[in-house]
Amino acid sequence: MEISSATQEKGTVLSLTGRVDTATAPTLEQAINREIDLGHRKILLNFSGVNYISSGGLRVLLASAKKLKNPDDRFGLTNLNPEVHKILKLAGFTSIFSIYPSEGEALAGW
Amino acid sequence: MPAGNDQLISLEWQPVPGAFGASIFPLIRKIDTISSNSYIIQTPDVILLIDPGGLADQAEQLMAVIEACRLACDRPVFVFLTHAHIDHFIGAQHLPAFAYTGGAVFSVQECGADTLERGDGKLTQADLLGVSQVPMKVGFRLLTQQRAEVRGVPVTLSFSNGAEVTVVQDRAGTEPGGELVRERITFGPGPQIEVFHTPGHSPDSICIRIGELLFIGDILFAANPGIAGLCGWSQEDLVRSLAGINSILSGGGIRTVCPGHGRAIPAGDAARILSAVRNDALALADIAELNRERAIETAAFAEDCMDEVNEIFTIMAGRLYYISYVMDELGEPEIAERMYTQFNGDAIDELLGAFRDFAEEHHRHENVSIHLALKAGQVIARLDRAFKKDELARLIDPTLVQRAGRLLSDYTTTLRGFHPPGDLAVCDITHQVKALITGLSVSKCSNEDMLASADDDAAFAQMLLARVGAHPLLEEIDLTLEAGDRPLSAIVDRDQFSDVLTYILEELVGTGSRQIIITLEQAGNEAVVTISGDTARREVPEKQKPWRFLERLCARAGGRLTSTEENGLRRFVITTGLE
Repeated sequence: MEISSATQEKGTVLSLTGRVDTATAPTLEQAINREIDLGHRKILLNFSGVNYISSGGLRVLLASAKKLKNPDDRFGLTNLNPEVHKILKLAGFTSIFSIYPSEGEALAGW
Repeated sequence: MPAGNDQLISLEWQPVPGAFGASIFPLIRKIDTISSNSYIIQTPDVILLIDPGGLADQAEQLMAVIEACRLACDRPVFVFLTHAHIDHFIGAQHLPAFAYTGGAVFSVQECGADTLERGDGKLTQADLLGVSQVPMKVGFRLLTQQRAEVRGVPVTLSFSNGAEVTVVQDRAGTEPGGELVRERITFGPGPQIEVFHTPGHSPDSICIRIGELLFIGDILFAANPGIAGLCGWSQEDLVRSLAGINSILSGGGIRTVCPGHGRAIPAGDAARILSAVRNDALALADIAELNRERAIETAAFAEDCMDEVNEIFTIMAGRLYYISYVMDELGEPEIAERMYTQFNGDAIDELLGAFRDFAEEHHRHENVSIHLALKAGQVIARLDRAFKKDELARLIDPTLVQRAGRLLSDYTTTLRGFHPPGDLAVCDITHQVKALITGLSVSKCSNEDMLASADDDAAFAQMLLARVGAHPLLEEIDLTLEAGDRPLSAIVDRDQFSDVLTYILEELVGTGSRQIIITLEQAGNEAVVTISGDTARREVPEKQKPWRFLERLCARAGGRLTSTEENGLRRFVITTGLE
């Protein structure tokens, strides 16, 4: 999985490409933790390059949501492939963090 | 073989217990469908190779060992096949050392000899596995009908490798129905060997006894899904042969059983395993033949099924993680932690990932279908063992857990050669749909239930878990049901019909529909159920729900399924026959 990071005024966008599974989830977790350590507490994950998420990936998303729950923190996902959206929706995750149609719509509200 | 140790050590010479002067060099492989184990045995009179395997490298490795034996003391070489399936011999097919006249003499039960000599790719499974096979000469036909006519009389045979062999055919085994045709073969003054005809896995299967070792070929796997039903398989013969082998084992004198795949087994354990195989085999009447066509169909079902398994197991894991998150938020870290132990997500991810990698590799190399079908069977069997159904059903939506269970068992049933059971019966589908919608709209645990349990900490915690875990699918959906007042009596399998509807509703809700309309109507002598949902997507998804999977499921439910998508509306139509 490839992860690129872009920090803007309104938040940090991590763009992911590849699968988010047991093998790659630790890489994603490290990338998110690195941003949090840098004091970036508004993090948007752009899933446009992700076509598969496994339970290992779901666990990392929840662990990240737990770390970013102060009133001024933000944690969200955008550009979800329908299959990935379905997994998150049916697992109940859409009530834990926000899912946005696009980066622009997410950051506009942050 | 080291004293007190029933295990054979792979790739080392060790004495054969109970056969003075004989030693064995086993080549024991990790179990797969490509190649069998091989065993070289040398006595002062002869060098025997049991099953050269399915790989040329393996056969070359064995031939190097045999050549070293011959250099030390030249003796005739015989290659015995426990049966003529290609994973047991094809590695030797093009090896000159095996092929040249006067070299190794292939020794195969009479039916197998005929199979090899006419190059019958169906019986050797070469057709199923997409392997080319040329006719082979078999020098030593075992357990022949001709020698049955002179039962008990020693027959002397001379071979191109210079060997002179004495064979006596008789019957062995005392267990009722378990008498086996046997040949005792003597190559010289050294230990003799015995071969027993044990058909079932294939018509030509044999067991070979040398000293206290019994080589049993593939009979341990003969009732396994994806093995039972192979061309030449016979349930009746298998059950009889298992009784015969049991009789040999209970007669004593066997210390270790050497299977065609996997590690050697102490005789006591083998007897127990064979008894379980017999029970499995008895349940396998009327299974379909596992031929190339069925392998292709099963492999296609395997991929569709694994997509669904992947999705449903990820959702179940996600639900548990969600419960864990919420319980943590509610200040219940112990309960939160416990959720992770209910589902070994990493192990399950690895299994599913391994299948995905296997399938990608399979398609890249255009491999044969049976391997994919068997791999799916292997993964599903492991998932089934790791899947704590009862515990999960207490924590998350039990219908999700039941559906996952049905998915796994349907695949195993298909791989076994049965059609998954369908229970078509008259059903008021209006009532069925209403009940399903209610079940998917209302929390399993009401406010009243919560209040009633408030005085009991344990009951309240359980209630809370159930409420968090069973998030109703249709809770936030604007759903309209348009059904008449009259019952609509269709002929369907209730569970499968509900599963089809649930899969469709999950697909719509999961991909963003907020408004769903279900209509039920009668059209001529058919009942038509239409499920329509708006789509929030801005683009057509790259991948739709595996169409074949839903079509197949709907067919098993007793209906036909069609689907359309236009103007922001997805529509699924199920048509079933009326009473």
